[in-house]
Amino acid sequence: MIPMEYFLVLGAILFCIGAYGVLTKSNAIVVLMCIELMLNAANINFVTFAAFNYDIVGQAFVIMSISVAAAEVAVGIAILLNAYKIRKSTELDDAELTSMRW
Amino acid sequence: MIAEYTWLVPFIPMMCFLIIGIIGRKTPEKGGYIAIAGALLSFLIALAISVEYLGSSEYEMGLPITESIRWFAIGDYTLNLGYYVDGLTCMMMLFSSFISTLIFIYSIGYMHDQGERKNRYYAEVSLFLTGMLGLIVSSNFLELFIFWEVMGLCSYLLIGFWSFRHHEGDAASANAASAAKKAFLVTRMGDVCLMGGLFIFLNLFHSLDYTDMFAAAEQVAQSNPELMTLGLLLMFGGVIGKSAQFPLHDWLPDAMAGPTTVSSLIHAATMVKAGVYLVARAFPIYVMDGNVMLFVGIIGGVTAFIAATMALNNMNIKKVLAYSTVSQLGYMILALGAGGYLWSLGYYELGALGFFAGCFHMVNHAFFKALLFMGSGSVIHGTGTEDMRLMGGLFGKMKITAITMLFGCLSIAGIPIFSGFWSKDLVIDTAMLAFEHGVGDATTWFLVLWILAVVTAFMTAFYMFRMWFMTFMGEPRENAQHCHGESPKTMTTPLIILAVFALISGLFMFFGLDQMLAFEGVMINGTEHGIELFTNPYTYLTLVLAAIGILIAYGMYVKQSINPGKFNKNGESGLYKALTKRWWFPDLYNQISWKFGYGVAKGVNYVDRQIVDGTVNGLSAAVVGGGDVLSKVQTGHVQDYSSIVLLGVSVLSVLCIVIFALLGGF
Repeated sequence: MIPMEYFLVLGAILFCIGAYGVLTKSNAIVVLMCIELMLNAANINFVTFAAFNYDIVGQAFVIMSISVAAAEVAVGIAILLNAYKIRKSTELDDAELTSMRW
Repeated sequence: MIAEYTWLVPFIPMMCFLIIGIIGRKTPEKGGYIAIAGALLSFLIALAISVEYLGSSEYEMGLPITESIRWFAIGDYTLNLGYYVDGLTCMMMLFSSFISTLIFIYSIGYMHDQGERKNRYYAEVSLFLTGMLGLIVSSNFLELFIFWEVMGLCSYLLIGFWSFRHHEGDAASANAASAAKKAFLVTRMGDVCLMGGLFIFLNLFHSLDYTDMFAAAEQVAQSNPELMTLGLLLMFGGVIGKSAQFPLHDWLPDAMAGPTTVSSLIHAATMVKAGVYLVARAFPIYVMDGNVMLFVGIIGGVTAFIAATMALNNMNIKKVLAYSTVSQLGYMILALGAGGYLWSLGYYELGALGFFAGCFHMVNHAFFKALLFMGSGSVIHGTGTEDMRLMGGLFGKMKITAITMLFGCLSIAGIPIFSGFWSKDLVIDTAMLAFEHGVGDATTWFLVLWILAVVTAFMTAFYMFRMWFMTFMGEPRENAQHCHGESPKTMTTPLIILAVFALISGLFMFFGLDQMLAFEGVMINGTEHGIELFTNPYTYLTLVLAAIGILIAYGMYVKQSINPGKFNKNGESGLYKALTKRWWFPDLYNQISWKFGYGVAKGVNYVDRQIVDGTVNGLSAAVVGGGDVLSKVQTGHVQDYSSIVLLGVSVLSVLCIVIFALLGGF
């Protein structure tokens, strides 16, 4: 049997890649995709613990999580599309946004 | 028991102050009649209290009638408010309120053309009287100090009365303002000393009530003599300031910038008498230290002499009188010092004589000095100048003023029967007795003081008659020529009353004043001492000197057979210049203020601006600057914010793990 650590390390790596993407990428669509990566890293952990503890609640929670993520992406992309219509750009760090400080 | 209502004596002028201040504008003479009524009522109550006290059994035993209520307590120090009636209190209350009444009546005439500002004047003089009467009836030193300060404030306000608008122009009003400031600041130096003395006494006695302090004085003096001496000296510092003793005497001549009635009030009835009263009141404590009393006597004698020298060549009629006041105050202090010194050596009767002489001279001085000032006010009212060189020959035009002032001059010069003779010769007598009975170096001091006192008596006779002759005799000069005659009745009536008192107040010592001023039950026999004056050869010495003084003044200013210019090289001699410059005391004050006072002020300014303000400003600048720096964190990049969130979460998780490991969770 594959040891539990393998799954958890896979989840952690996936999460780190996602976090890295969220913090560094300037394209909003890429950032949204990276957020999906981080969600799926959490889902892997859920599934892993459910399988190893013989507990079906974890798997049920993953279904829930995936459906929420789908809804969230739908909303996110809708906002992005509207923002793109107005600003003609999906960049996060343009001058118009960074001036909204202090 | 009327004595229970002693608080009314200062309370009535206080009410007058409030009434005049609020509605005085609408009353006739802008509140002048209210002030007179208040002072008169105070006098009548004081009279009733005195009559009752002098007939009581306490008086027979030499005890006071006193009562206090608790004001507040700090730890085990209890401070009271109350009244204290004994012979000294009665005497002071009577002459203070009586003379003030006369001065207020006189003011109706003298201040008549002052318009709206009369309202302010009458309110302030009422408050002034409150201060003096409150100080007299106080039952403890804190209460005394409060009224002492009230008087300080009133003297400031009244001396500066003409600081806003003066009929003689801007220079005169600037002069009034600076004289008021000088009086306030110089007496303040004394007040700070007095306050220090009271702190020491509170520490030593755990009470400031007269009764407690007098009872414990001997025991405290034995257990803690150094602090006692320091306390007494500091307290005397207050006297030096208030009673214009050397070296803080210089404010009093400048205080002449106020109206003449105010000068009269300050010199005769209130203010400067407060210092002498303080020494007399604290006499049971003062006699515990003979050296302090010697110091007091020296200050008194030196003041008497120095002030008299400065009066010799002054041309301002009011300033001559001011110097004579300082000089006479010196006499009083000298008598108290010499008497206290003798008492501390165990000569109780001689000590009581000194006490009596000092207080007695205070009463007599009050009468003749009020008379002289009001007389000079009448002359100034008539001629419109204070310069004696512009007067002369007024005898024919102002007969009442001239004759009443002559009474005052004879009295202050110490001519027999007139009041000044009795008390002044007793003062000089006391200095002689202190010389005869003293021990060690003190005898030399008292001999010097006696000589100074005798020479002062000579100078007093000279300068007072110089003033009188220059004003009323000889050729009428400039202003005297268009003098429009005698002053109104409201001004001459008080003069006549006071002239009678200047004549007879010395005889009070034969009719009970000796018992009123008995110190700690040791009574001196007034009749005996009065007669003794005529068998004492030294009395004749002072009399002859006074007569010579008068004759020289007569020769110089009436017959003009002696030319004063011969003595001063027509104003060129060094001594003459020194006297005109008041022995350089004003310059000394200025130097001290500029060098020392200004230096300290600069230092304090530096500390305040740089250190106190610097701390506050620095703190606020640090907050503002820190906020500026920290606000740069808000970049507006959503990714920066999420990085920080992630960082925080990571740190928190690591911390959790570490803590969990430390608690032995694994």
